[in-house]
Amino acid sequence: MSAEAVKTTQPGEVPVTPDKAARGRAARRRSTHIALNIALSIGALTMIIPFLWMIVTSLKSPADLAQFPPSLLPKDWVWSNYPEALKAAPFHIYFRNSFIISAGHTMITLALGAMAGYSLARIPFRGREIVFMSFVAMLMIPTYTKIVPQFLLVKFMPFFGGNDVFGQGGTGWLNTWWALIIPGGLSASAIFLFRQFYLSLPKELEEAARLDGLGEFRIFAQIYTPLIKPALATVGLLTFQESWNNFLWPLLVTTRDDLRVIQVGLAVFRQLDGTSWNYLMAGTTLATLPMVLLFLFCQRYFVQGFANAGIK
Amino acid sequence: MTTTKPAAGLRTAGAAAKESPRKPTPARSKQHPQGNKKLRRAGWLMVTPSILHIGLWTALPVIATFVLSFTNYNVFDAPRWIGFENYIEVWNDPTFRKATWNTVVYTFWTVPVSMAIAVVIAVMLNQKMRFQTWYRAAFFLPQVTATVAIAMVWLWIFNPQQGLLNAALSVVGIPGKSWLADPDWALWAVILVGVWQGIGMKMLIYIAALQNIDESLYEAASIDGASSIRKFFSITLPMLKPATFFVFVISVIGAFQVFDQVYVLTDGGPANATTMMTYEVYRSAFQNFRMGMASAQSVFLFAFLLVMTLASRRLTRGEDG
Repeated sequence: MSAEAVKTTQPGEVPVTPDKAARGRAARRRSTHIALNIALSIGALTMIIPFLWMIVTSLKSPADLAQFPPSLLPKDWVWSNYPEALKAAPFHIYFRNSFIISAGHTMITLALGAMAGYSLARIPFRGREIVFMSFVAMLMIPTYTKIVPQFLLVKFMPFFGGNDVFGQGGTGWLNTWWALIIPGGLSASAIFLFRQFYLSLPKELEEAARLDGLGEFRIFAQIYTPLIKPALATVGLLTFQESWNNFLWPLLVTTRDDLRVIQVGLAVFRQLDGTSWNYLMAGTTLATLPMVLLFLFCQRYFVQGFANAGIK
Repeated sequence: MTTTKPAAGLRTAGAAAKESPRKPTPARSKQHPQGNKKLRRAGWLMVTPSILHIGLWTALPVIATFVLSFTNYNVFDAPRWIGFENYIEVWNDPTFRKATWNTVVYTFWTVPVSMAIAVVIAVMLNQKMRFQTWYRAAFFLPQVTATVAIAMVWLWIFNPQQGLLNAALSVVGIPGKSWLADPDWALWAVILVGVWQGIGMKMLIYIAALQNIDESLYEAASIDGASSIRKFFSITLPMLKPATFFVFVISVIGAFQVFDQVYVLTDGGPANATTMMTYEVYRSAFQNFRMGMASAQSVFLFAFLLVMTLASRRLTRGEDG
């Protein structure tokens, strides 16, 4: 299949008898094109089917669910599964919490990450290389190599949740918005990406701006940052997505239902009510929907982000 | 919490830092003695909040993990120094050995299989065609959705009584199984989900890399009469080598940290058939409250990843030179 794909992009052979060869080539190209589309459709369908199955299941009645083999479409479209699922578990609260946290992470990342990236890319100061290399080293750290102390830091945060100055006696940031928003607010990879984007801009702008007497912060905020708007969108979207989908950290630091994020809410709902697959799939659909929509509308930025994170 | 992008830094950072044109030159500082001081201050001011954040939430925890790994610590009592005891226990623990083996098997299958599928799809999509954006979106969709949600859907698909998979198999006359409860099959079910979800990102990176390949290479090969298959193996694949290295490293790092789908699909079972290194870290720390033990396990995980990254780096370098 792949070999044929290469062929269709590279029709560069020298024709023998122009007429016949051209016709044969066109026919062959058409047939490879059809084969290609069939293969891609099958592949794409394999990707989509679980999502379709999720939506179909979320609209089935319990009697319908119990059937084997299952019906491909619901017998009755039970839209009331959604309000019922919301009654069974406060998915709207989980939804709100996930949104607040993702938005918080995105704002912190955009503000701090862009500033740091700009500074590392464009402002010469002593120690800059060391700071940058340290950030790069931090990129390599797996989540699981920092999760235990991160949890302990949150638990022993002084002066919070009844803790004294040494972090003893209370619960610290556990079960608070602080724990959900602050530790995951910034990642070294965002700083790294921002630095790459700022590096790609011309130097003349800053020199001109400095001659005009603009302060460094204004050069950053008013001259350079508007030039990397697509990069802001990319990093923002990736941050939002990652934080919306994050599971382990909110699982560790929250136990209260009103602070639960949607991914943890789903897992808990399944443990409590493991057999109501229609409600569970309704909840899963709700958890999936924002990211799918965000992706479909902003596909360009996602694609750009991964391309940029990859090869440069 | 980012875990997927480290290799970007790994591969490009060194080069970028060396190329960085913005070193303060003496001539410059003579020209603007005051401006330079202002500049330095501005630079530090803008980077300091990030240094504090990364320092507190990444650098300090990493150091703490190493220190804690030599202690016995249950959160409630003060940590007690016990030297290498945790490491000895990790080394001899059959469950952790099983987890390490499972992680390696999971990585060994998910990474190459999804990479192979991704490169084929990327090549197929790398041309003008209708619905290209839609195809690309379909393959990428599992990547943007939460692993927990995806695992929930697969849990339902794998359901032995009413699941879609057994229904589909019964159509072809193959008897169904309880995939996730069968020790022989559970890991394969987890691997299948990993492959299915992992294709999208690898495909995108490959598409980006394919667009950088010089068209004239293919034209020259065509004039020499090379077949399409020959062109794929002699031009496309070699030209994709840097991308392949990058994809490989980030995929291995990602695969070694598989957790969410195990948590939802199997809870590490049946009989530890699907437990992973990350899952053991989680269990030690947050179910058994053995923080020192969990730290030792996570150091082990980190060392494993580090060795693999360096080894694959040396491997690709060796081929170049």
